[in-house]
Amino acid sequence: MRTLRLIALHLRVVAMYEMQYRVNFFLQLFQSLLATGTGLVVLALVYGQVDELNGWSRPELLVVLGVFTVLGGLVQAVIKPNVVQFMEEVADGTLDYVLAKPVDAQLLVSIRAVRFWQAVDILVGAIVMSVGAAQLRPGPGLLAVLGFLAALGFAAVIVYCFLLLLATTAFWFVRVDTFVESFDGIYQAGRWPVGIYPSWLRIGLTAVVPVGFAVTVPAQALTGQLSWPTLAGAAALAGTLAIVTRVCWRLGLRHYSGASS
Amino acid sequence: MGELAVHVAHLRRIFKVPEREAGLRESVRSLFHRRYREVRAVDGISFDIEPGEVVGFLGPNGAGKTTTLKMLSGLLHPTDGEVRVLGETPARRRREYLRRMSLVMGNRNQLQWDIPAADSFELNRAIYQVPWPEFRRTRDELVELLDLGDLVTKPVRNLSLGERMKVELAAALLHRPAVLFLDEPTLGLDITMQKRIRTFIAEYNVRHSASVLLTSHYMADVEALCQRVIIIDRGRILFDGDLATLATSLAAYKELDVTLAGSGADLSGYGEVRSRDGDRVTLRVPKAQTPLVTARLLADHTVLDLTVEDPPIEDVIELLFAAARPPA
Repeated sequence: MRTLRLIALHLRVVAMYEMQYRVNFFLQLFQSLLATGTGLVVLALVYGQVDELNGWSRPELLVVLGVFTVLGGLVQAVIKPNVVQFMEEVADGTLDYVLAKPVDAQLLVSIRAVRFWQAVDILVGAIVMSVGAAQLRPGPGLLAVLGFLAALGFAAVIVYCFLLLLATTAFWFVRVDTFVESFDGIYQAGRWPVGIYPSWLRIGLTAVVPVGFAVTVPAQALTGQLSWPTLAGAAALAGTLAIVTRVCWRLGLRHYSGASS
Repeated sequence: MGELAVHVAHLRRIFKVPEREAGLRESVRSLFHRRYREVRAVDGISFDIEPGEVVGFLGPNGAGKTTTLKMLSGLLHPTDGEVRVLGETPARRRREYLRRMSLVMGNRNQLQWDIPAADSFELNRAIYQVPWPEFRRTRDELVELLDLGDLVTKPVRNLSLGERMKVELAAALLHRPAVLFLDEPTLGLDITMQKRIRTFIAEYNVRHSASVLLTSHYMADVEALCQRVIIIDRGRILFDGDLATLATSLAAYKELDVTLAGSGADLSGYGEVRSRDGDRVTLRVPKAQTPLVTARLLADHTVLDLTVEDPPIEDVIELLFAAARPPA
């Protein structure tokens, strides 16, 4: 309850701040439409040649593109700004103030910075996803939608934990921005269902950097291709990553020596 | 009551610092094989602070002051030794503890740059779970005491250094901490603002009987606020006690300020001449000989004015450091 109140309060402050910069909204909308438009054109080109791609029809790939955009929006709007701010604070020592507050430091570090207008991506992604889902025959049932929502939740947890885990290494190595920057490049691979990649890359995108897995599983759920073991696998991965991240965070805090005075 | 505000015993903190020679070749070598050096930032210090006490923590750069403050506020784990603040072990970072203390660092901001301080205050209210009526009362009191006025409604980035320090202090005190750790709170401020901050800290201490541990490079801060000082150098305590006794017990000499009727007299026979300003001469005289020298001066010259004083506290502390460090 208290956690939700803190999140709401931080969101309010960020919103008040970002409202001052209305022009960012239009820039972001333009950028988001451009990126999604490019994605749609590529899809159109591919399906001009073939009817299906490794078992994925056009509406199904629209769903994948939608999930990719939604999750990407979440990363850019919430996860990355927070992680970047945290790394900067480790480097310049202002993390001291976070640690001196009577609230869980991992929570505080994860909710402070929000790029409000980046959330436009989430909206655009949701629209693309809905358009794709509406063209599916048969349409998704209630169970599929529930499975999709659960899988999307797990995907968010997986991506958040993965990025925070990368950032936590800052406690030992201080300068780790490049790790997190390279995530953006790898995330692009999530644009396509993980099944279309050769097996070595598929394993990489599932186990090493689980973005492919994170995007594909919710899309599978909505398009009726999901097996329950896969969903259970996503849940297990999310749970395990959450625990590992927590443990590493605690170890990191013990190791933190602050930037010198 | 009866519980100590701060109890520190045999506290030690060792940092491992990577070490390498200058130059590209050494840089490449250190990529593969790092050599570490142990730095004893805090090397077995012990002291207690009573509730409501204001203690000055003095020492040159790198003496271990900030490291100690960070261990007291739970940011750093001690390598060895015992720390208790308000009966708690800080490094465990229990919320009950963190809610009762505050740390202010003059060289780092906790307020967010882009938003007015008033909004940050509200975030702190939620974080420290201060009930609304109490929050309003404390906030209004701080606004009045620090003369904040409309500073709290401007984005922090638009404030001057001194104004920023005032709102930083207010933000740090909204939850009425029982223990306050101030690391160079007046750093870089002009004299008027330094005074203002000093008066405020003294006032806060009296009103809420909070314990304060303060580090500062400005002797004036310490003289105005602290009866007791702890002097630390290279991680060890050199002196812990009354500021006044430091001067009387440690200084081996006194300073004589003499104003003579006729100028030009050579007083170097009476003691070490520290300065000369027209007819006014400052002499440094071994403490034991002070009565004798004073009597001789009065007998030999027409003295218009004469005062005998302990040397400035900075000089005494310098003497202390010089005695602790063997000459190179």
